[in-house]
Amino acid sequence: MLRIGIDVGGTHTDAALLDGDVLLASTKAATTADVVTGITNAFDAVLADGKIAASAVQCVMIGTTQFTNAVIERRELAPVAAIRIGLPSGKGLPPFTAWPDDIASAIGGMSFMVAGGYLYDGELLAPLDEAAIDKAVAQIAASPVRNVAIASAFSPLNAAPEESVAAKIRLAIPNARITCSHTIGGLGLLERENAAILNAALLPFASRVVTSFEAALVQRGMTCPLYISQNDGTLMGAEFVRQFPALTFASGPTNSLRGAWKLTGLEDAIVVDIGGTTSDIGVLQSGFPRESYNIIDIGGVRTNFRMPDILAIGVGGGSLVSADGLQIGPQSVGHHLTSEGLVFGGDQRTLTDIAVAAGAFDLGDRARVSDLPAGLVNTARGGMHSMLNNAIDSMRPGGRKLPVILVGGGAGLVTETLDAATQTIIPPNSGTANAIGAAIAQIGGEAEQMLSYQQIPREEALAQVTAEAERAAVAAGGDPASLTVVDVSETPVPYMEEGAMRLRVKTVGALMAREPQGDGA
Amino acid sequence: MKIGAEDLDALALGSVFLATGGGGDPYIPQLITQRALEEYGPAQIMAPNDLGDDSFVCAIGSVGAPTVSLELLPSIDEAAGALAAFEEHLGRKVDALAAFEIGGGNSLIPLLAAASRGIPMIDGDGMARALPEAQMMTYAMAGIAPTPSVSYDYRGNVRHFDCPDPLEYEGIIRACAVESGGMITAVEHPMSGAECKAAIIPGTLSFALKLGRLLEQGRGPAGAIAGPLAEIFEGTIYGACRMIFSGKVSAKSSRVVGGYDVGEAVIEPIGAEAFGSEAMTITIKNEYLLARIGDKIAASVPDLIVIVDAETSMPINAERLRYGQRVAVFAIGAPAVFKTPEALAVVGPRYFGFDHDYAPFA
Repeated sequence: MLRIGIDVGGTHTDAALLDGDVLLASTKAATTADVVTGITNAFDAVLADGKIAASAVQCVMIGTTQFTNAVIERRELAPVAAIRIGLPSGKGLPPFTAWPDDIASAIGGMSFMVAGGYLYDGELLAPLDEAAIDKAVAQIAASPVRNVAIASAFSPLNAAPEESVAAKIRLAIPNARITCSHTIGGLGLLERENAAILNAALLPFASRVVTSFEAALVQRGMTCPLYISQNDGTLMGAEFVRQFPALTFASGPTNSLRGAWKLTGLEDAIVVDIGGTTSDIGVLQSGFPRESYNIIDIGGVRTNFRMPDILAIGVGGGSLVSADGLQIGPQSVGHHLTSEGLVFGGDQRTLTDIAVAAGAFDLGDRARVSDLPAGLVNTARGGMHSMLNNAIDSMRPGGRKLPVILVGGGAGLVTETLDAATQTIIPPNSGTANAIGAAIAQIGGEAEQMLSYQQIPREEALAQVTAEAERAAVAAGGDPASLTVVDVSETPVPYMEEGAMRLRVKTVGALMAREPQGDGA
Repeated sequence: MKIGAEDLDALALGSVFLATGGGGDPYIPQLITQRALEEYGPAQIMAPNDLGDDSFVCAIGSVGAPTVSLELLPSIDEAAGALAAFEEHLGRKVDALAAFEIGGGNSLIPLLAAASRGIPMIDGDGMARALPEAQMMTYAMAGIAPTPSVSYDYRGNVRHFDCPDPLEYEGIIRACAVESGGMITAVEHPMSGAECKAAIIPGTLSFALKLGRLLEQGRGPAGAIAGPLAEIFEGTIYGACRMIFSGKVSAKSSRVVGGYDVGEAVIEPIGAEAFGSEAMTITIKNEYLLARIGDKIAASVPDLIVIVDAETSMPINAERLRYGQRVAVFAIGAPAVFKTPEALAVVGPRYFGFDHDYAPFA
């Protein structure tokens, strides 16, 4: 299948053109204010390089950090009405609890708590309070707010209350945009509700972004399907992203990890993505990113999105180096490197300048760093390698040494052997690993349930949750025949009866292939 | 002394440290307590010695699976509702509240109830740490019956208990939690001021706050905070505090056995460490209960075994401990009250099923 992977970052729009498993071309272009031009420029570059006609492309995959940035920068966020179904529990903990003031005032304003929901054992927490729901819906209908988030206690186990409220809203407010929490997160009501609210707030922006991506394809005469990559390295259809923009929050680091896997074929490895300001260190397990076990804040809002486990340290090509070479970063000239770094005629001493002075690579005007004392250069080089070594060491799974793959624009900074690695690899095209990661993404599906192995035997429970995960994968565009279970996690619930378990299954498979003359996505 | 909303971050941090890996994530208890303290103002804290001998005291806290409260959120009025039900049942107003345990979210429940009712919380608790069962509280050890008591569930359903034997009571109240959505608030151990003074471990609330402040301010490598930590435990009801190991988690397992979260963590030394070349094994039964290096016991319950992040010194709960984390292990001597043969019979390693006697770490 001929496909193009695109990574739309804050400064660069990267693209990679692949034919099946073979990388035909890759490019790094500037991100433009309208986004569309940057994408079409990147299209043009890889198509020309690969000598491929736009009409022959069968699939385009885009990874983007635009939705993460919107939340962090508190822009493009629409007001949301939040409905919590869980009374009589949780009184005093309404939606938007513990949100930073600036984002709460950007999104918040309307919130409702009504009786209903389920318990851990499937019993009713309380009957759904229809009268209270009707009142809330009437209030929303009378307001200008059209984005609604609905969260109900134990909805990952039983979503009926959320669905019933959503149906009422659709009937009363036909142009409402609704996010139900069970569609976006696992157990943890407050975190799942927060995720649903953030998602609902992004819905209008998501619609505009997806439209601009589609416009880029139309401008180049491409009629193939468009996919967008999500947190776990799998793909969503463009229509799906219009509903679930929040699922892209961590797609950047995920794509770089998956790209590193593709470039090296290493199933288990540590990936270091060295950029201008930070080095982001992640772990590949069976070819996929290892997930974080910690609660993740997005722009100060607590969520339970499953994200890759990333350790970011302040080592990048633009990191500032002190006069004695002992202090490296975290301050950085960032993307101003090419004007402020010494070798580029600027007056800031950066890790890139040190690397050029040491002869590690050739960039800019080497004469401008010839007077840097050898002691300073050696100290800074040693310090940088030891910072990376220590960080890599702390990410090693099970204490094992693994190969280390270096990707990103700053990969060339590393020239010495990293003691924490069995080997250090800088694959060709490592600078566009993100776009390659987007191009190879698969379709996935997940399901989670809390259940008791005393009531349902383990095998039966596993089959039940797996079937639910497979339904999710097929709904997202996966080929049912290709699905395989990639992760089963069983978390015992302490203090409860023996056998009480939180069971989660993740399944991944190939994208259902479609011809370029298809339905035009 | 008063505790207000601005003290909660430090108190929660100190109480997670003293929870020795158990006690659940204090995030949600902290949120509701924050709301209560903002609404009703700071809670009055009273030293045990200031209690009138004939004043009326009880202990209050949550019983159940912390994991359940991720979905079945507690309500801000639940603790006060439980207390009101208890008073109605006993036909008497409570003068002051005591904590089950200072470790984890149960350090906050009495504070929440005290603030919303305008009565003092006593500076002390029944465990000086976290432990899993009701009979492990010093109130029970001092011979104070757990009942009459009440439980209060999320619906506001009240149950009355009359069962003076602490071990039987533990079984009944646990079953009640399982049947009531997985989490209840219990008000128990009615006692006089004189009885409370004799039974409670004094000063643990103010100590948890002080400890939390130290951890907040000293946020940094465990090696650097070991000295100040040792100092802060000096002269308290606890024994000495010492770092007994540092390294990297190289294995961790856990499963549910008999209603407990049971597991093991292996910490391997890294580099040229001061703690030898052998790995440390920590046995988990809700809390970190036993630390061994080879056949040698480095620390055992009721001494406190605390695992912190090596870089930030933040305490790590058992459910968040994971492969690859760099950690330091601290041990702290248990209060003298837990070291008598009678107490060790209910909180010592053998009670938890280990084939070891209590071996004081220092």
